[in-house]
Amino acid sequence: MGLLKWSRTKSPWIIHFNTGGCNACDIEVVAALTPRYDIERFGIIIRGSPRHADVLVITGPVTRQVKDRVVRIYEQIPEPKSVIAVGSCAISGAPFTDCYNVYGGMDTVIPVDVYVPGCPPKPEAIINGIVKLIDKLKAG
Amino acid sequence: MMSYRTIRIPFGPQHPFHIEPECFMFEVDGERVVGVKPRIGYVHRGIEKAIEDRTFIQNLYLIERICGICSHAHTTCYTQAIEEILGAEIPPRARFIRTIIAELERIHNHYLWLGLAAHEIGFETFFMYSWRDREIVMDLLELVSGNRVHYAMNTIGGVRRDIIPEMVKKIRKGLDALEERMKYYKKIAMTEPTISKRMTGIGILKPKDALALCAVGPTLRASGIKRDVRADDPYIAYDEIPFNVITYDGCDVMSRLFVRCDETLESVNIIRYAINHLPTGMIRVRVPRRVPEGETVSRVEAPRGELIHYVKTNGTTKPERYKVRSPTLGNIPSLCKMLVGGYIADIPIVVAGIDPCFSCTDRQAFVNVSNGKKWIWSGEELRRYAVKWYPKE
Amino acid sequence: MTEETTEENEIVRKMKHLIGKNVLESEVPRPRRIFILVNEKVFGKTIRYLTKKMGFTHVSTITGVDVGKEIEVIYHLNRGGKIELSLKVRVAKDKPVLPTITDLIPGATLYEREVHDLLGVSFEGHRDLSPIILPEGWPPDVYPLRKEWTIEKVQKRIIKGGKQ
Repeated sequence: MGLLKWSRTKSPWIIHFNTGGCNACDIEVVAALTPRYDIERFGIIIRGSPRHADVLVITGPVTRQVKDRVVRIYEQIPEPKSVIAVGSCAISGAPFTDCYNVYGGMDTVIPVDVYVPGCPPKPEAIINGIVKLIDKLKAG
Repeated sequence: MMSYRTIRIPFGPQHPFHIEPECFMFEVDGERVVGVKPRIGYVHRGIEKAIEDRTFIQNLYLIERICGICSHAHTTCYTQAIEEILGAEIPPRARFIRTIIAELERIHNHYLWLGLAAHEIGFETFFMYSWRDREIVMDLLELVSGNRVHYAMNTIGGVRRDIIPEMVKKIRKGLDALEERMKYYKKIAMTEPTISKRMTGIGILKPKDALALCAVGPTLRASGIKRDVRADDPYIAYDEIPFNVITYDGCDVMSRLFVRCDETLESVNIIRYAINHLPTGMIRVRVPRRVPEGETVSRVEAPRGELIHYVKTNGTTKPERYKVRSPTLGNIPSLCKMLVGGYIADIPIVVAGIDPCFSCTDRQAFVNVSNGKKWIWSGEELRRYAVKWYPKE
Repeated sequence: MTEETTEENEIVRKMKHLIGKNVLESEVPRPRRIFILVNEKVFGKTIRYLTKKMGFTHVSTITGVDVGKEIEVIYHLNRGGKIELSLKVRVAKDKPVLPTITDLIPGATLYEREVHDLLGVSFEGHRDLSPIILPEGWPPDVYPLRKEWTIEKVQKRIIKGGKQ
């Protein structure tokens, strides 16, 4: 395994972006950092800037006003990058699918690698999603 | 074992350097804020329109998701509005269970807020401790409802799940722990100079202004105004359960913190009373799918303040019009008043002080009125600036 | 009749005394709830009376409803946290204008802006009716809560190339 790949799978740096859902998923993502769940034991660090991140953890329905920003953030993350869509609205837009300015899910706008379903998913499910991503990255 | 490190947690969307919609536009002169303009279009989803297109049962799931933290308050407000038009009286046991969940939600919200407020002033240890203890109330909510967030306990006609005797022992134990921890956090808040320096005398909202600007919730009560929908306009079981309305006279962020601490302790007592006096009987009644023509206004005291729903029905299975006014919107004019004249470094904690929905604190735009310089900071950048600005002890 | 119901009925009686048959509809469905529809031309006088003389100094919110050829604007006023009085007034849809109440209750400012955004009602005298609820770049002629703007129609207008 190359050095870069090793460092990415050993310690993925995450940027968390919420596109304006009800914030339930965001609470559970942040809860994953707190002592009970402690995702840092997987070497996961949350960064403040897309330029320092490997993984985009994204929540919320894609509304018209946020769509361009999502694409821009995705473009700012250096290759190779991955995306984890957390929660039902990030996956399909549900339950906001019939709202007039909501698109479908996140994958209508950017490519998604891992989907973590739930409304909201529990922190364990989110950690499971991140671990699945690490496995996927290790497998190449 | 826990580890104590300073961990930077971004609480908002990042901003590429483009002109983007932001939540607040600040006009500043040096270090002082001289003007504030709120702009909250960023999070608009179009829910009120979508509600007109769904049946009353389908709307239960949508309305719950207006806000991730106050979901039970929203569904309580909704179900009691529809029940009123239907003329349906829910069983006493259901009213008590709704109250228990409402107060657990309030405890959850206030613990969550405590951690976020600590984070805003750079007190990371406090954040970690309070969010660890928050897990106690989340466990209780999961025990009773099956979920940590979005409890889905309400339905039109009552509640969907019962509180069985096996749960009661665990609830009592959890309440004892939550009470003890909140008393400990209140003591820290009173004695820790870091907290006092960042919150006392900051974000002043005089009672006259609070009333003129129609403030709600702990923000209003921290300016000495004794208003609480649970006491003034009782709903579910609040007319049968004795409790105190908490007010403080400081009119600052510190007072808002104390109101929330004491409210948490009141909530513990309300739940204890409710469990001890839980009526027997059914937990729901059957209601028809079609709701007759009518209209009503439903109000509840959500953890953040007065929540109001207005509904108009037309005899079909779908609402004619549904209006929701969340407490955060009610406090934005007061927030603008509090910010003007203060320091830029105080913005994060004053904004946090009204306990807004996450999304509203994410992006701030600045304009320096004396030199015309413009810039945008994310919530995280502003928080870091503020933490550095106040010298460490 | 309980004490409280009498208080609500007394308020309605006082309003009828003030503006007579300009009270088009009134209802006290239960304690602490009043619904009253007044003629547009006495709106200014009525709201001033309620806020200055009757103690209704808190605005919970302002709702706009599309009722066909008119837009009904409902002011949800509250007295001391207790009685919620919903004052309704109807304006023509092709020219929906009402005087602002922000001179009486500054806290009503964002609620008027919201009704302006979603239904197109203008509030004369309001200092700044710029968009508050709708996002940046929203087309100014699209009023999403008007019945003619169905969800499909709104989507066609605001999402380039339609919804995916």
